[in-house]
Amino acid sequence: MRTFWTFFFFATIFCSSHAKTDNLLDGADLGYGEYLSGECVTCHSKDGVDKGIPAINGLDAEVFASIMHAYKIGDMDHPVMMMVASRLDEEQIASLAVYFAAMPDAN
Amino acid sequence: MVTKFSRRQFTGGILAGTTALAMPSLAFGARPRVAVIGGGAGGATAAKYIAKDSNGAIDVTLIEASKRYYTCFYSNLYLGGFRSYASIGHNYYGLSVNRGVNVVHEWATSVDTAAKVVNLGHGGQVSYDRLVLSPGISLKYDSLPGYSPEMHSRMPHAWTSGTQVQLLRSKVLNMKKGGTFVMVPPPNPYRCPPGPYERVSMIAHLLKERNPTAKIIILDPKPKFSKQGLFMAGWEKHYPGMIDWIDPDTHGGIKSINASSMEIETDLDTFKADAASVVPAQQAGSIAMAAGVTDGDWCPINPANMTAKADPNIYVLGDASVASSMPKSGFSANSQAKVAANHIRGELSGSRVYEARYANTCWSLVATDDGIKVGANYSAGPEKIDVVSKFVSQGDESADVRKATYQESIGWYEGITTDMFS
Ligand SMILES: Cc1cc2nc3c(=O)[nH]c(=O)nc-3n(C[C@H](O)[C@H](O)[C@H](O)COP(=O)(O)OP(=O)(O)OC[C@H]3O[C@@H](n4cnc5c(N)ncnc54)[C@H](O)[C@@H]3O)c2cc1C
Ligand code: HEC
Repeated sequence: MRTFWTFFFFATIFCSSHAKTDNLLDGADLGYGEYLSGECVTCHSKDGVDKGIPAINGLDAEVFASIMHAYKIGDMDHPVMMMVASRLDEEQIASLAVYFAAMPDAN
Repeated sequence: MVTKFSRRQFTGGILAGTTALAMPSLAFGARPRVAVIGGGAGGATAAKYIAKDSNGAIDVTLIEASKRYYTCFYSNLYLGGFRSYASIGHNYYGLSVNRGVNVVHEWATSVDTAAKVVNLGHGGQVSYDRLVLSPGISLKYDSLPGYSPEMHSRMPHAWTSGTQVQLLRSKVLNMKKGGTFVMVPPPNPYRCPPGPYERVSMIAHLLKERNPTAKIIILDPKPKFSKQGLFMAGWEKHYPGMIDWIDPDTHGGIKSINASSMEIETDLDTFKADAASVVPAQQAGSIAMAAGVTDGDWCPINPANMTAKADPNIYVLGDASVASSMPKSGFSANSQAKVAANHIRGELSGSRVYEARYANTCWSLVATDDGIKVGANYSAGPEKIDVVSKFVSQGDESADVRKATYQESIGWYEGITTDMFS
């Protein structure tokens, strides 16, 4: 599933709005990302295991940010993640992206 | 005097073999001290985040009566046979070994807020610069007409952590063929609004397999309940004719409960139960009353950081607090704990304090692979915690969506328990 989305998001977001991807990670702040991640790890296990909710540790930061923007604008549709993403601004998404990219995944 | 030795590990990877006393001596006085009462969804999370993020700069003592925490969340799934009892039990080893939290297994009996000291059951003391209270609920037995101590064993509430839920399961399994189970949910406000109705679903699931002519009667003190439409549609679909929900307009109020005859009397009728679960009204855990931070049954808090309105050095998390629109849930308590932890660190070590952000999602299992959920996120308003946005499962969802929702809840259980205890 991860591979599929990785490909899908690079393909669609990268091609359709190239200008935007250049600054997807602008304003990223690791410390802020760590604080914001508190909301995520209630569901996405901090150990990076998937027991029913996908693991998000170690995802490429740009892919991560693209996915979050897709939930935010409703291109990816899942009620929980749409709600989560709806109140995150670009800087918050960027901060989360760099934070989770640096977290070890289970493998 | 309580003495507790724990290995302290700083996140930098240095192992310092310091020993810590439950009553910190002045030699260590340079480090600010946080005491946390209650190692449940709120308290375990708060202790972990303060210890983890301060890298040992703050001394954290967690006072928790039990050595093992059995989550109330998922206890209904144990009842229905979807989880083992062992799988919902957790210990505090991770918090003490990985995070350097001093875990003291004692009952906190009182708090001297002027001296900033917590008194423990066996005479020990823990002093603090900041105190976190997350004691959960205590049950108001006097809310039940005809209450007797026998009720605990004959009509288990199973609303607090521990063996009550095992007792309840054995009662359901031993019901006579075609017998009647009576559920008496608590009045508002109480922990886990969908909990009684998920419990009924899980009992129906058990009975459908083993005792299909049995009946379930819900004598509700409330005219409506959480996710009502979704639950009732689910009951109709999976357990047709088995469950009867009777609202207070219809039964006219519960007049008396007799645990020895297993009879529950209402204006409408006297219901004779073969097994029952009676859940009393609730209030904040008793230590919150003892600390003087309650107003009525619960503790008012400041929405921006979860400090008690009555004392700026005390934070109240989870069920014990008045978190306005946030339901009393494990998810809410865990979310509030992170806001408080961030604020406490800021106060004691000068680290950056970020804006409060809260969230909750409550999943319920109606039948095999039929999960539903409701959730919201919240921000701190000037007076109360306000809803930012919310969602709820839809009535017309496909079986695939319902199955995915159930699977998500398994992921969430793994996520939140890892977040609390490791
Ligand atoms: C049947 C049922 C189903 C539920 N399902 C869900 C669900 O699916 N999702 C969800 O999010 N929530 C659920 N909940 C609610 C959830 O369990 C509570 O909201 C949550 O545990 C509250 O956390 P807390 O920290 O306030 O209290 P608790 O988790 O109850 O922790 C309090 C701890 O404090 C300790 N303690 C209390 N007083 C003292 C003292 N004086 N000294 C020492 N220790 C003390 C207790 O031993 C306890 O371990 C459910 C509850 C029930 C009953
Ligand atoms: C209430 C539980 C919950 C919370 C809280 C939550 N998520 Fe999710 N998340 C999910 C679920 C469920 C999915 C799978 C959604 C789907 O199937 O489309 C998901 C999917 C994702 C994905 C896509 C993963 C992939 O490989 O497809 C990312 C990225 C993500 N979440 C990031 C976050 C971040 C960042 C946060 C915190 C700001 C967060 N989530 C908070 C439940 C949650």
